[in-house]
Amino acid sequence: MSRDEINSLFLTYKENKDPKIKNEIVGAFMDLVYSLSRRFANRGEPLDDLVQVASIGLLKAIDRFDPERGVQFTTYAVPTIVGELRRYFRDRASTIRVPRGLRERSYMLNIAIQKFSQEYGRTPTVREIAAEVGISEEEAIEGLESNEAATVASLDMTTDEGNLSLLDMVGGEDHTLSLLDERLSLAGAMSTLDTREQNLLYLRFIEGLSQTEIADRLEISQMHVSRLLRRTLHSLRNNLTTSSREPFIS
Amino acid sequence: MDKRDMEVVCIVVPPVEQMNRVVHLATTAVASRTGLNIDQADDINTALDELFRLSISQPDNKQCFSVRYDIHNNRLEVLAERLQASIGDGSSKVSRYRRFIIEKVADRFEERTNPDGGFDVLLVKFISNNLE
Repeated sequence: MSRDEINSLFLTYKENKDPKIKNEIVGAFMDLVYSLSRRFANRGEPLDDLVQVASIGLLKAIDRFDPERGVQFTTYAVPTIVGELRRYFRDRASTIRVPRGLRERSYMLNIAIQKFSQEYGRTPTVREIAAEVGISEEEAIEGLESNEAATVASLDMTTDEGNLSLLDMVGGEDHTLSLLDERLSLAGAMSTLDTREQNLLYLRFIEGLSQTEIADRLEISQMHVSRLLRRTLHSLRNNLTTSSREPFIS
Repeated sequence: MDKRDMEVVCIVVPPVEQMNRVVHLATTAVASRTGLNIDQADDINTALDELFRLSISQPDNKQCFSVRYDIHNNRLEVLAERLQASIGDGSSKVSRYRRFIIEKVADRFEERTNPDGGFDVLLVKFISNNLE
């Protein structure tokens, strides 16, 4: 379909909201829907599901698009569809359904913490970070804690930075965490963690770095460090608890 | 409202998994009121996580425990009272792990027996002096 034909369809749809016209427009852009869905197909979700989500994005874009603005529909539709796909992954990642406004606030806080730490060389207080973002302290606390709702998200999920998972970003340096194992006589419990998790524990509990310092060193956010640490301690605790219940075999 | 010399906040926590989030929220809010930074607030939460897990891991435990926050000018004292199990003396792997983590994240930590039953654990976090 030519650009003029599509424009004409939109003008007609804007006037009478005829569902048949809408279907025609949808049909004309399904290739776009598939193309955008395939970009996200490496994140463990079935392509069919992604196409459904992207189609919802397309429908929203069609309803909101104003053909009289002189902008091409695809210019408007692509960010709308991609936004819908991104929100889908964020919703799937949380075991607790966090309202969108709260997630966005958490995201803004994330950025503000990083910026503050880089500028002032220290970790901010809640009051300082609330002032940076322009929200109340209560809203900031809520935003910080909603970050924990994503704690059980798959840390193998790829990040927006590319194909790296959150754990990949911690790195795999082989520190002497056996030191910790020996010191606490945990009988190899540390070895049940992967190298990246061990690295994180090493930085926090042997080198004694704060979460903000670890975030700075690993070039990830403090909130990511908090989530990773929580999950790593959870794993270690579970491993220790499970092994302590195993019967002694002589 | 100006901060007085000492303020006290208490919450009573049932040993139910979902209540961990309530403790987190309260701790972060109180830590903020005290003047602790985000890392320090998270440290207290890490320690309380361990105590919370200890409490809910006891089979058939339905006993609530309480968390009392004493806000001082230069520090926050957090007292977890009437926990149904001790952190342990370090003779087991789990107790060694637990003591190690809590010692690392709290500036001071002390466990004592509660005269009414169970155990109390006191955690202290001082406000750092890097604020201008």
